[in-house]
This record gives sequence, structure tokens and C-alpha cells, in this order.
Amino acid sequence: MAEYDTYIVGDFKDMVEDVETVTVIRDLTPGKKKYNSMYAKVLISKDEKKYPNTLRVRLGRGQLVDKGCSVDVVEIVNVIPPGL
Amino acid sequence: MAYKYYKDNRAFIEACLKTGDAIEVNEEVDWDLEMGAIVRRTCEKKGPAVFFKNIKDYPGFQCVGAPIATYRRLAIALGMDPNSKVPEISAEYLKRTADESKGLPPKVVTNAPCQQVVLQGDDASLWNLPAPMVHDGDGGRYIGTWQFVVAKDLDTPFVNWGMYRQMAFDEKTMAGPVLPFSDMGKMWHNKYQPKNIPMPFAVVVNPDPLSAIASCAPAGIAEAEFTSLLMGEPVEVTKCITSDLYVPAHAEIIIEGVLVPNVTIDEAPFGEYTGYRTSPREKRTVYRVNCITMRKNPIMAMSNMGVPTDEGQILRSFSLALELDKLLRAQGIPITGVYMLPESTHHLMVVGVKPIYTNIATQIAQLAWGSKLGPWFHMVVVVDEKTDIYSKDELIHALSTKCHPVRGIRVTEHGVGSPLNPFASPEERVYSRAPKVLFDCTFPLEWPQSMVPIKVSFDSVYPKEIQERVLAKWNTYGFKD
Repeated sequence: MAEYDTYIVGDFKDMVEDVETVTVIRDLTPGKKKYNSMYAKVLISKDEKKYPNTLRVRLGRGQLVDKGCSVDVVEIVNVIPPGL
Repeated sequence: MAYKYYKDNRAFIEACLKTGDAIEVNEEVDWDLEMGAIVRRTCEKKGPAVFFKNIKDYPGFQCVGAPIATYRRLAIALGMDPNSKVPEISAEYLKRTADESKGLPPKVVTNAPCQQVVLQGDDASLWNLPAPMVHDGDGGRYIGTWQFVVAKDLDTPFVNWGMYRQMAFDEKTMAGPVLPFSDMGKMWHNKYQPKNIPMPFAVVVNPDPLSAIASCAPAGIAEAEFTSLLMGEPVEVTKCITSDLYVPAHAEIIIEGVLVPNVTIDEAPFGEYTGYRTSPREKRTVYRVNCITMRKNPIMAMSNMGVPTDEGQILRSFSLALELDKLLRAQGIPITGVYMLPESTHHLMVVGVKPIYTNIATQIAQLAWGSKLGPWFHMVVVVDEKTDIYSKDELIHALSTKCHPVRGIRVTEHGVGSPLNPFASPEERVYSRAPKVLFDCTFPLEWPQSMVPIKVSFDSVYPKEIQERVLAKWNTYGFKD
């Protein structure tokens, strides 16, 4: 089980659940690569036990939402054109 | 003739340690928030720079925090006595930079210290650098807070050195705002990106202090030449490994790569120079990394933006004010000087002027806002030539007593502004719009002389011989100062 966080621009109550969505998640595993970000297709739930990984949610200006969530990382999405 | 200056930040840190303007921290500190918290606190206490010698996860690396977050350290960077007053530091800066035509092209050297270690391929990973997590809640680790970006215009020889922040997104990618009214923004948004051409860049992390100061200065010439004015001789540069860009030879770390056209990725939020986290998570310009070079035992650098005072506020206030000073004098305005309070996060410009004609304050404000420096500030206070522009007491007194609440306050609604303005509406931020306001603290010239209020102070309402007698006997009366 890994731990990630993500930023949402809108209100936490409006956060989309259980629908495959492409968003940015950050890997919170301690060490030199902590905070490595990636675009990923994910499934998110406000139920912290529904998906295999822990997800912390932050609002657009960095405010941490108290409620723990969970995430399933379906696939990593590369947004940089090949060769660059 | 070269002035006294420091060729690299190592010598500058050494000088600051000697004067008590820096401290060494030998205990291991965590790059994840602990270094940031220490630097933030010393900025808020106007304390010393911090030289971290032992960083968790990164043996062999060191880091300096808050290198020029006080006027004392700015004076040291310019080779001056750290006790120099702001007007003295300003006068020295103006003396060195008054004639921009004397700027010298950089001197190219080989075997540069900044290329003692070269990382390419998989080794050129941003995670091999101790980029700090500066504030809790930031969108990522900010590798670029005390650095500048070198970029060359697409179809002219112009080379820009500018301080644009960068967040490490992944091991090969950084992101950050490149505002369209900035020098690099004009190149990128108007030339490279419309033609879908990647733009080579080099990020210079922890440069020598005068190159850093030049990169913050809104000068009329290329920053490398401006650096030569501050040094009194050409700055030494070396060619990048992967591009034709040239970087200061004595910098600590260089990150090379290209800006990726027509792709944006999430960046921010970040604790900003205004003292707030204003701009939200947004899609911003992408920097793709292909090479990292550095000195042996490299020193990372961190500026921790937040409430005053950090080096962004000190240096931008200082250089913006003095470039505006040059601009106004060049237009023949009889100013006594220009000062920006660092505590205003370079939003409030104070100008002293001899009001020789009506509405001279309006003319000053219009010139300032109409210049390329205009987007960075929105408040102009104009005081008369007898007011000390460096004195907060005199400024507050003039503002509170001489500025008419209707006639003296003039609002310009449709100006260009920074999206980082905390007061701006979400729409104003999106379109970089900002209203501007002038506070005219001069009495109207059309008032008859008999109607003009007389300032009541020791200097103004006693005969000279009384003043001299009192001053001569001051200690005799029993005063200690």
C-alpha cells in the first residue's frame, strides 16, 4: 500500500468519486524521491478503505483536507511529447 | 577598475560568517520542511543567513538559506561596510550602474568550477539535488528559489537572466510561471511557442551574489552586462554542455534543458513573495531537464518567500526603486529619490519630488506604471522634497496629513498587474489586471502661500542659532543620545 496526495481546485464535497479520472498524484514515500509527481488515470474514493492506496487531498492553495481518502492508480499517463 | 566583490557564493558566505551575518548549522537537517522552517524564521526575525552543512539523504551537499535577506548582507555583497545605510547602498548601486552603455560582455572561460561534475542521461535526475520542500502545502519541492534562468531570444542576440521560480515535478521535469510581460515571457510566448520550437534554458542555482542581484534588476541592458557594472569587470561565464547558452562559471549548480512548447503541467501553490499563497494550482510552463552540472561538494540555495523580509523583497524593492529613480531623472523630473519599502513586498513606491508644477505626482505615477516595471507594483506615494523617503515615520505622517482623501487619491482602474496580487479577484489574476493608486502628499501649488500649512518640527520652526545652541548643549541638559 502506497501513500499519495493530490490537489483539487474545487470544493472537497464536489470531488468526483469512483470514476476513472486523469489527475496529478504525488508519491509520499519517504526518501529522495518523495513528492515525485505524475499524471495518472485514477479511481478515488472518500472511503479510505475502498481502494488499495492512501490518498490525502489538498485544496488549490495547499490546505490539507482532514478526511482520509483512498486511490487506485489505474495507469501512469505521459504528457510530455516523446523525445523531449 | 574592479570593485570589491565575491566571485562565488562560497566567498560571500565566508564573509557573512565573519561579520555574524551568517551562521553554520552542522546538525543534520531535513530538506523536507525543516530547512524551510529554519530559513522562514530567520527571515521573519531579520536574522542571519543559514549555512546548512549536513542535509538528510544528501551527503556531500550543503545549502545556504536567506543569502541576501537583509540590507546588511546586500552591503556585503557589494563589498561595502555591512553597517552602510540604505541611502548609501543605493548611492553606490546608482554610481556603478548609472551609465549602462559601459556594460561589458561576459568573459568566456573553460574548465569552469560549475562543471566539475557532469550528470547526463538517467543520472541527470532532479532527485539527485536536495531541492527543499520550502513550505507545508507547496505543490512540490522548489529547486528554483535563489537561482536564475538563462534564455536566448529566438531572432535577436538578446540573452535574459531572470529569476523565475521552478518546482521539481518529476526527476526530469520542472514547472513554473513564465508571465507574458516578463523578458523571458516575451521570448517564449511571442516567438518560440507559436512556432512550436523548444527553447533551450539553463537554470543557475546559487550564483555569485552580484549575478543574482543583476538577475533581479529590471535593467535596460542584458543582465550579464549589468553584472559587469556591479563588478567593475566582466563576469566570467562558460558554455553549457548541451546548448550554446553561457552560464556564470562560479555558480554552484547548473540545470540544462528545454522549455517544452504547447504543453503545460500542474504547478503551485507556493508561498510567494507577497507573504501569501495566492496563485492556485494551475497549468504552467514545462522545463525538461537533460543535463545537470555542479561544483564538487555543491551548495544548494534557498530563498524562503513569505511575510517580510526575504531577499526577493529586499532585492526587488531595492532594484525596482533605483531603476525607477533613473527613469524619472532621465525624464527631467526633479526627484530627490525613490524608495520601495521591502515590507510592502515591492508594491509601494515612495518618491520625493520638488513640486514645481501642478500634477507632477500624477506624471510620476503614470511614468512609473507605464514603464516595463509597472506590472510589479500598484501604489505610488509622492511626497515633497523635504520629506525623508526612507523614514516610515515621515511617510505615515505625510500620508495621514497631506494626502486629501478625495483630491489626493487617484485611482487608475485598468492597469497591468501580477496574478500573484493577493487583493486581486480571480478574474483579475487570470488576465494579469490590476488597478493602481496614487497618493499625492504634496500641497496644491495653486494655494496662496499664506494658506499653506507650516510643518512644525525642530528643523522647521526654530531659528538656526537656537537649533545650534540646543544641539551643542544637548548632553549638558542631561540627554544621553
